Amino acid sequence: MNAVLSGWLAQTLATDAPALPSALALQIWSHLGWSVVLACLGASLVGRWLPSKRSRLDGRQWGVALLLALWAWVPGPYSPTYWLSLAFQAPSVAAVLLCDALLRYRFFSTRSSSAVADTPRRFALALAALGVLVGWALLLDTFARLPVQLYAWGFSPAAAALVGVTALLPWVVANRPIAFGRTRWWVVPVAVLVFVLWRLPTGNVWDAVLDPWLWLMLHGVVINGALRAWRLRKQAVTGASAVESARDLL
Amino acid sequence: MLPFPVFRSAYGRLLVVLLAACAVLALDLWQRPAAPAPASATWPVAAAPADLGQLRVVAKGDIPMPPGMAAAHASTLLPMPASHAATLTVFWFSGDRESGPNVQIAASQYLRATQQWSPARFVVNRFEMGAQLGYGLRRLGNPVAWMDGSGRINLFVVATGWGGWAASRILHLRQSSAGSGLAELAFAPVRVLPLSWLWNTSFLVRNAPLPLADAGMVLPVHFELGIKYPTALRFDQEGGYRGMVRMSQRPYMLQPSLVQQSPQQWLAYLRDERPQGKIGVAQTVDGGQHWNDLPDLALDNPDAAVAGLGLAPGQMLLAHNSSLASRGTLDLSRSDDGRQWAPVQTLERGGFDDEFSYPAMDWVNGSLWVSYTVDRHRIAWQRLAVAPTPAAGPAQAPAPARAEP
Repeated sequence: MNAVLSGWLAQTLATDAPALPSALALQIWSHLGWSVVLACLGASLVGRWLPSKRSRLDGRQWGVALLLALWAWVPGPYSPTYWLSLAFQAPSVAAVLLCDALLRYRFFSTRSSSAVADTPRRFALALAALGVLVGWALLLDTFARLPVQLYAWGFSPAAAALVGVTALLPWVVANRPIAFGRTRWWVVPVAVLVFVLWRLPTGNVWDAVLDPWLWLMLHGVVINGALRAWRLRKQAVTGASAVESARDLL
Repeated sequence: MLPFPVFRSAYGRLLVVLLAACAVLALDLWQRPAAPAPASATWPVAAAPADLGQLRVVAKGDIPMPPGMAAAHASTLLPMPASHAATLTVFWFSGDRESGPNVQIAASQYLRATQQWSPARFVVNRFEMGAQLGYGLRRLGNPVAWMDGSGRINLFVVATGWGGWAASRILHLRQSSAGSGLAELAFAPVRVLPLSWLWNTSFLVRNAPLPLADAGMVLPVHFELGIKYPTALRFDQEGGYRGMVRMSQRPYMLQPSLVQQSPQQWLAYLRDERPQGKIGVAQTVDGGQHWNDLPDLALDNPDAAVAGLGLAPGQMLLAHNSSLASRGTLDLSRSDDGRQWAPVQTLERGGFDDEFSYPAMDWVNGSLWVSYTVDRHRIAWQRLAVAPTPAAGPAQAPAPARAEP
């Protein structure tokens, strides 16, 4: 029994039995991934520079997103996928899911959605902060500045399970339902599931849940969230002081 | 509203998460190959000559260049099976200039019938590989060849992304042609090896793999973006990637060359990029699972690649540039403990500005074969044996590149 258990444990922790995606699967993923990322970026830029005052189904945003998404599927050097993959390989599954969620929110959600109103943002912020920390650790590992080999550990089955469990912790500890809306807390668990099913994009779970571009973007999310929290606290303190001052005057 | 009662308590949700994690783990394990047995190195020959100090050059010359190509660098030697028409295949990169856009991977074969190198031809083109991968490759370089357990030639080449050599990745190619004769030899990409989180960048390959008893191998590679460090990659007998282990903590050691002392105890000889560098050494005693740094050798290293070869227990060879500031001298040394090295031959001795660099070595048919770069313009070769054998054929004097009839 002990031998079976230790054998199973060794297999679970092993980093020398990776399952990697086929070249064809990776090629399809590169086109799909970059098409979603480019569509999201294109729609966001159009929405920012040419804001629509009418409905959310803005034809310009739709058109740009569709055009970029289709362009990414063109084979060969006339495709942005060809050059983006040359420089950055494939986007992470999490980045693609996030871009997909942002696109769907941009085009299909309504402002009256309860998902927006009931969003407990601190969970999303905590996950973003965790992503930032993990990214820094992976960067240090890339330059061999860590005593452990974190990236290599991402080839083990235990890493995928641990990342999945960690990403679901907000749902476990939440004292009320977490909406599927703008928190996007489901992105990492789903990314882990996609990774386990198809090994995308590299067979290493870190590449599935966090890529350097996503990591840089998470810095912005965390800084923005921290600033917002600081302003709210400052407003609360200012409000309380004003109330006390008014009481003193009375 | 929560759909199931179990979701209403934190303990219930934790139970669901743990069950989901177990399911993910089971699904993940089901897809993976079994973990390999501990790595055990083998030697290339059953019996090496008793006295490597008696090795003498019995033949030498230049390997034919592809027509019209002015640059050549980083050769690698691959012994061919006994039934093959060629004794050896040599691969290198060639083009108008190093890092030029028309650089391709060239190859030539030393034919048993003629005892000559065949005319070179290009076997890997970056545009063709890029088309098959679905994305661009800016430059190619540093091929390293290995024959897997099924007799297929695997090539590992450096393929750069946006940037110079520091933006390199390692592209794994596998023979796609039915035969391995030079005329039909063709390759298809397996994948770019996933080695780094940072856009998978800055890993390069240079030196020959260490063969394992299970017909797999350990491929030495290195990272070189800003700092340098060597890493060992393991492959199974089918060429399947099986993981990576960092080999040194020193941030100036690169291009490891692996030499076995026993099946589980190996040494890695390392290029030192420091100005007053010595050849660095790292050691593993558990078949590559863990590595530790050893003190440098007494041999100088002018920031140049070395090539080591373990022939049999206690019989090791090292080809290296032996002066501090120049690659103008290429020496061959031998050792029985991997630490103390004695000179065997000076393979090349030129002026300060000459370059005889990037040696590759292998032991085939009772001879030591060495190939190396000459002035980044051509690839030269030498064959050394304890005593000249009739099968050695006529010695070839160093000559400009030429195509054999």
